[in-house]
Amino acid sequence: MPSPFLTPGSQSQLDSLALLQLRRDQTIPTILQLHDEKNAGYKEGKVTNTRFGSFPHSTLCDQPWGSQIIASKVDTGSRGRTQSKKLKRKADELDSSTQAEDKPSPQIPVAASSGFLHLLYPTPELWTASLPHRTQVVYTPDYSYILHRLRARPGSTVIEAGAGSGSFTHASVRAVFNGYPSDDQSTKKRRLGKVCSFEFHAQRAEKIRVEVNEHGLDGLVEVTHRDVYEDGFLLGDPKTGESPKANAIFLDLPAPWLALKHLVRSPLEGTESPLDPTSPVYICTFSPCLEQVQRTISTLRQLGWLGISMVEVNNRRIEAKRERVGLDYENIRGTVVFPKSVDEAVERTRALEERSQLFRATQNQSDGDSTPAPKTDTDTPARQQGSEVPVYKQGRMMTRSELDLKNHTSYLVFAVLPREWTEEDEKRCREKWPSNRVQEPQGPQKSKKQLKREAKEQRDLQKKEQSQLETESQKE
Amino acid sequence: MHSYVRPHQFVALRLPSEFTKIQKIEPDSTVFLGKFGSFPANQIIGRPFYLTFEILDDADEKDGSCLRVIPAAELHAETLIAEGEGEGDGEELDMNEDGTPMRTNRETVDDASTQKLTWEEIEALKKESGGAGREIISKLLESHQALDQKTSFSLAKYMLRKRRKYMKRFTVLPLDVSILTNHMMEDQGAARIMELRDEMIGLLGCWGNVHHGGDASLEQAIAAKPNGRYLVVDDTGGLVVAAMAERMGILYPHDGDDYEEQGSSDEPKKNEAEQAQDDEQSATDSSTRRPARPAHMSASGNSITFLHPNKQPNLSLLKYFGYNLDNPDETHPLHKHLKTVSWLQLLDPNADPIYSEEPEIIPESELYTMKSNKRGAYHRKRNRWARVQSVVNEARAGEFDGLIVATAMDPSSVLKYAVPLLAGSAHVAVYSPSIEPLTELMDLYSTQRKTAFINKRQQLKEQKLQQSSDQNDANENDPQDSYLSELMDEFYLDPTLLLAPTLQNSRVRPWQVLPGRTHPLMSMRGGAEGYIFHGIRVIPTQQAIQAAGNPSRKKRKVVTQDTPTTAVDSGSGVDVEMKS
Repeated sequence: MPSPFLTPGSQSQLDSLALLQLRRDQTIPTILQLHDEKNAGYKEGKVTNTRFGSFPHSTLCDQPWGSQIIASKVDTGSRGRTQSKKLKRKADELDSSTQAEDKPSPQIPVAASSGFLHLLYPTPELWTASLPHRTQVVYTPDYSYILHRLRARPGSTVIEAGAGSGSFTHASVRAVFNGYPSDDQSTKKRRLGKVCSFEFHAQRAEKIRVEVNEHGLDGLVEVTHRDVYEDGFLLGDPKTGESPKANAIFLDLPAPWLALKHLVRSPLEGTESPLDPTSPVYICTFSPCLEQVQRTISTLRQLGWLGISMVEVNNRRIEAKRERVGLDYENIRGTVVFPKSVDEAVERTRALEERSQLFRATQNQSDGDSTPAPKTDTDTPARQQGSEVPVYKQGRMMTRSELDLKNHTSYLVFAVLPREWTEEDEKRCREKWPSNRVQEPQGPQKSKKQLKREAKEQRDLQKKEQSQLETESQKE
Repeated sequence: MHSYVRPHQFVALRLPSEFTKIQKIEPDSTVFLGKFGSFPANQIIGRPFYLTFEILDDADEKDGSCLRVIPAAELHAETLIAEGEGEGDGEELDMNEDGTPMRTNRETVDDASTQKLTWEEIEALKKESGGAGREIISKLLESHQALDQKTSFSLAKYMLRKRRKYMKRFTVLPLDVSILTNHMMEDQGAARIMELRDEMIGLLGCWGNVHHGGDASLEQAIAAKPNGRYLVVDDTGGLVVAAMAERMGILYPHDGDDYEEQGSSDEPKKNEAEQAQDDEQSATDSSTRRPARPAHMSASGNSITFLHPNKQPNLSLLKYFGYNLDNPDETHPLHKHLKTVSWLQLLDPNADPIYSEEPEIIPESELYTMKSNKRGAYHRKRNRWARVQSVVNEARAGEFDGLIVATAMDPSSVLKYAVPLLAGSAHVAVYSPSIEPLTELMDLYSTQRKTAFINKRQQLKEQKLQQSSDQNDANENDPQDSYLSELMDEFYLDPTLLLAPTLQNSRVRPWQVLPGRTHPLMSMRGGAEGYIFHGIRVIPTQQAIQAAGNPSRKKRKVVTQDTPTTAVDSGSGVDVEMKS
């Protein structure tokens, strides 16, 4: 099954993951199914209920991705009451509706007026925002930078230790994906991207495994339940297993320095190295505390890693909306009723002053007769003026940071381990590329044409010299 | 993956001064590093990346090699000593019992008189002394009078400064998007790449959901729709295109090759030899073309369609990755996967003569009589016309999987025309060095605008319906066009096509980590902050939606709002109603 994360196609499909977007930051992941074994009882088959209405999956399947889907009228009330089921059915029959409660043919849903949602294919970003939390999550600003620095590209192999909630797993498999594994000969020749995920918490490892399967990532993500401090990173058996031949490593562990001893070119115990012998290997560790960073870096130095650097990522989401300030906005929601300028303030005070003077005057006058004071609504005309501008153009566009700032996620330590380079390699290289050969006339990059031309030029030159010699000798 | 330095490849050389130099490595040439010396290029070809070399003063007598690989242990030991902790845990040794530092800078003389060597003497030393700069530094230290007054930290800093000035060494780095970006930022090129920092490139690619589209054979089984087609608008000279191509696995010409060297340790060598032979061959007989070459811009999936404002696209930075647009290398993956379309071709193709004017077809019989160069010109013209036709038509048909924008133009104008070309659920990511163009975008896609847009559209629709029924004119398409243009006049673009617009910025803060002295780096590059706008393309229903959402129980207690009786916005009416 193709993964909706990687090759979603153009339409939502049965039995694959879809995201139901209700509003910003509120997305429900669900596997689309016509029949729901767990929660049976709906006439429409499997139904997802939201605060914006109920959505039978029959209205969500085979729809173009990105579609706006309108909620359906679903009887959510009577379904649970098993006792009244018979009564209900009777009532239904009386209501002349000819419903069969046969499960195989779910009822055709009727559109409701309660609301809608958008049907989206999953991406690591949307998944990260909606995934079921198990541990601390590596969010998009961090993983986007980490994967970029780790050079996790199509065809690479990534080791991830501490699979956690699986957000990094999904992001990294997208980064390295360059085709699904198959027995086809043509794809076997090419190196396919892969994520080797290690998790020491049995339950979490199992959850990740289920997720990988549900998300169509089998063969692209290999989950291993393992304590990597002790048993290292070989696939299968910790001692004799196959090397993942990793190009990039991400360690989200409490003590990354304990795992580093396994990530070397030639391990002490004589086991195979989990690293790709033909490429440089990039590493990133993700630790919230400085003390962890210091120990990690000191171990990295001892083990010969190079280009060690430590950074933190500061990300801010920014709210942008129109801010409406002015006295005109009285009784309008989301506005600031305050003079918008000095002029407005002066005008307003002046008007008030005039009004009170008028009031005093009329009071003095009306001591005798009882005519009511003339109504003065200075507000109304102003507000009418204001409403000529459509609401979406009123006020001024303002930006500010969103209220909940993530001030610190973790410190990121990066380093790189070059390929192993032996004396023999160097010797062979020197034979092939002679060290002192510099700009020899017949370099390999010259074309035949050029060689011919040069030969000709040389011949011409010789001829000239000869003729010169001859003329000289003649002179003599 | 970059495993070793290949001939004719661009690499980055990091110098002791922390600057990088981009250099094309041609066999049998000499690489000059200014005051840090020079070396023959052959001595780094075939060697792995990330090694640090020292330039020796006297070349090896046998084979003339003058580079020495510095082992990692030596590098780290040197930094640790230079950073002032030679004698174990430096910080503790320097403390008195009461915890105050033993040596302070109280006695330090703040003038240049402490260095006894004169300028001339140093110059002379530079010429004579060897040891790749080590001798000079030790001489400098010897003749520094106030050295014993320095605290170990300031001594460390002093050493570091001198090393940056005099050490003759360099590190060979593979030239990839990340290193090129950092190089452009530290150099004068920051404005050329719109001050696009490394972290922004990562973020842009992730929010744009840019990735490899899978292989073609399986793709057919999945759906009729090819995967991984991205629209890119890039005014950075090709950096964004390169970054996206890197994510899609179509930037590096030798990506596939490396796998074959996997087997044994002997193989890389053999492979390399073949490689070199290939290079020689392709150079020597360039006239004989390979029979099965991939057609230019012919990829159906996993492709980048680059929209450019001028007649010719500017993608000059791609040269560092071995791809030159004027003289494209047919073996490079970008040759097949990178398509270029101008805005004129996209919006009004018939105004572009290359697209609209088909070269006359000359019958075969007549072709034979023509001179070979004329025949070649004819085929070239026909091919170009066919290529432009197919690329432009494909772009105009839309259904792209993502839109990545980094432009000097007004981004709203880009989105106005490009968003309708996206498939549903495709992601849009826009980079801007400053926030203002993006807040304008946020405004154009605001909830209030969506609501107003939908109401207005409904209103106009009804009006037109009434008019047409009055006139009894059954032409349906015409009225729609007219009210669309009226809508666009007021709203500029269709705000219902993008869901959940967000705005963010991101900044990476580097730290110094040394025992006892861990802190963020003192200085950082200022300039443009850099922002990213993100949204998701959706397909709004044409039905009028009567209400939006059941108010939650909590909200029912609060004063209820006026119930929406009019047709409420489909784009995000939800947001409107749920606020309160």
